[in-house]
Amino acid sequence: MHRLKHNWEICRAVAEVTYKEWSAYRTHSLVSVIVGPVYFMVQYFIWTSVYGGQTTTLGGLDLQQMIRYFGATALIGYLIMDFADWNLSMLVRTGKFLTFHLRPVHHRSFALFQKLGHRMLGFLFEFLPCLLIFIFIFGIDMRPASLPWTLVSVALAFLMNFYVNYTIGLTSFWLVQSGGIRSAFLLVSSIFSGALIPLDFFPHWLQVTQLFLPFQYIAYMPAMVFTGHYSLGGLELTIPQAVGMQAAAVLVMFGCNELIRRRAMKQFTAVGA
Amino acid sequence: MKRYVDVYKQCMYSAVQTAAAYRMNFIVSSLITLVGNILFPLVTLLIYRAGTSFPGWSLYEVLLIQSVFTMSSGLANLVFGGVLWTTMSHVREGSFEVILLKPLNPLFYIVATTFSVESVGLFLGGAALFVFSTLHVGAIPAIAWLQFAGLFLAGTAVLAGLSLMMAAMSFKWVGNSRISELADSVLHVGKYPLPIFPKAVQAAATLIIPVGMVGFLPASALLGRVTASDFAAILPCLAFLAAGIWIYRHMIRMYEGVGG
Repeated sequence: MHRLKHNWEICRAVAEVTYKEWSAYRTHSLVSVIVGPVYFMVQYFIWTSVYGGQTTTLGGLDLQQMIRYFGATALIGYLIMDFADWNLSMLVRTGKFLTFHLRPVHHRSFALFQKLGHRMLGFLFEFLPCLLIFIFIFGIDMRPASLPWTLVSVALAFLMNFYVNYTIGLTSFWLVQSGGIRSAFLLVSSIFSGALIPLDFFPHWLQVTQLFLPFQYIAYMPAMVFTGHYSLGGLELTIPQAVGMQAAAVLVMFGCNELIRRRAMKQFTAVGA
Repeated sequence: MKRYVDVYKQCMYSAVQTAAAYRMNFIVSSLITLVGNILFPLVTLLIYRAGTSFPGWSLYEVLLIQSVFTMSSGLANLVFGGVLWTTMSHVREGSFEVILLKPLNPLFYIVATTFSVESVGLFLGGAALFVFSTLHVGAIPAIAWLQFAGLFLAGTAVLAGLSLMMAAMSFKWVGNSRISELADSVLHVGKYPLPIFPKAVQAAATLIIPVGMVGFLPASALLGRVTASDFAAILPCLAFLAAGIWIYRHMIRMYEGVGG
């Protein structure tokens, strides 16, 4: 019990320090207040034009659901944003990762709580202003179909995004400079996470493939949980079932991450560039 | 003038040599850029595949707009792509005075030394999509090609002006690596047919920040959809580039030389 409390204190301190550290650069976050609504505005007009005032559904979504979907993906993006891959890659390349072997905290936990602190700042300076803009300027109904399930799903997306990025960062233990892998992954992730377009628009075989890849659990699934309806590749699930599947996917990803991390540690030479 | 041309040629040669020294990095970066841009019209493809469309625009016409946009971005990035990051880095590190001491116009020096060979992937990706789209939109008369050339250069001038304005911001907003996102978000409007936006957005995208000139109007010229009055939009484009140059040069005076 004492050890648990001690670990909690460490993690809370990491989150607090990261929050304070990034508070010095809060105007970085405020860029999102312009960028997010502009992207959203473009999506808004694209889809308004595509639906053309008809009451049809596309990819199983009507216009209002589509707009809500893009609003949700934008806002969820602020809550789960992560650059653990870049950070870990930098630590390995410069040899600074060595210092984490001397600290009384596991680096993955350290990075996770850094992300938590960083996103708390994102919540205040990105999520909340953009939420208000979406509601009061665009007049979008941003009430989730089920608040508790949406919160759980976003929390799982937060973890999934972190574990996936951390795994990409671990490739630096072999490649030293993993910029190419990270760029390629970012490209694939941006397409298949559902942030550009709902995955229902993809060919059936690609939709089925997404069930076995981590991308859809990062943006598409939490956004669909927000809208209250989940289906992909012919698989239609209730919201609790979808969140259950997301939790299972996060566990699998964590297992993969742990396996690769253990192998990566054997590669570490502590020599920086 | 000849001196400037010689310097620029030498800088281009150096950039190519640098790329050749790190061949694998150059090939991978160019390939990812190329693939990224081939996938860029994916949203459009999926929308049309779902049996719907942008009213009044066929799939190949929208792809033509997007290919022109990509080519224009590639060209602008080739010449002006590195200005933002180099300026930002110099301002943050307090080393911009090294450039001010050179016996050359500082803006020219920055532009010449940041010739971005990797952007050739972006241009080639756009060019491939452009050829593919033009083959599907029917015969294009010679006059339309001439109109296209003029509007295309005007659109590229807009991108250059935007790059310079963003770079100029880094003199005051020191070390903000997200400045480029501001430009990227605004440019997003230029990737789709302008008539899908409300009149106010169309006016802003033609006269204030003329991003509509980057892909939409040059492609419209090829499709025979421009009117004589559309060519008046070239003026705001040139004004935008001039504003970019003026703002950058003005902001240099605000440089404080305190790095770290």
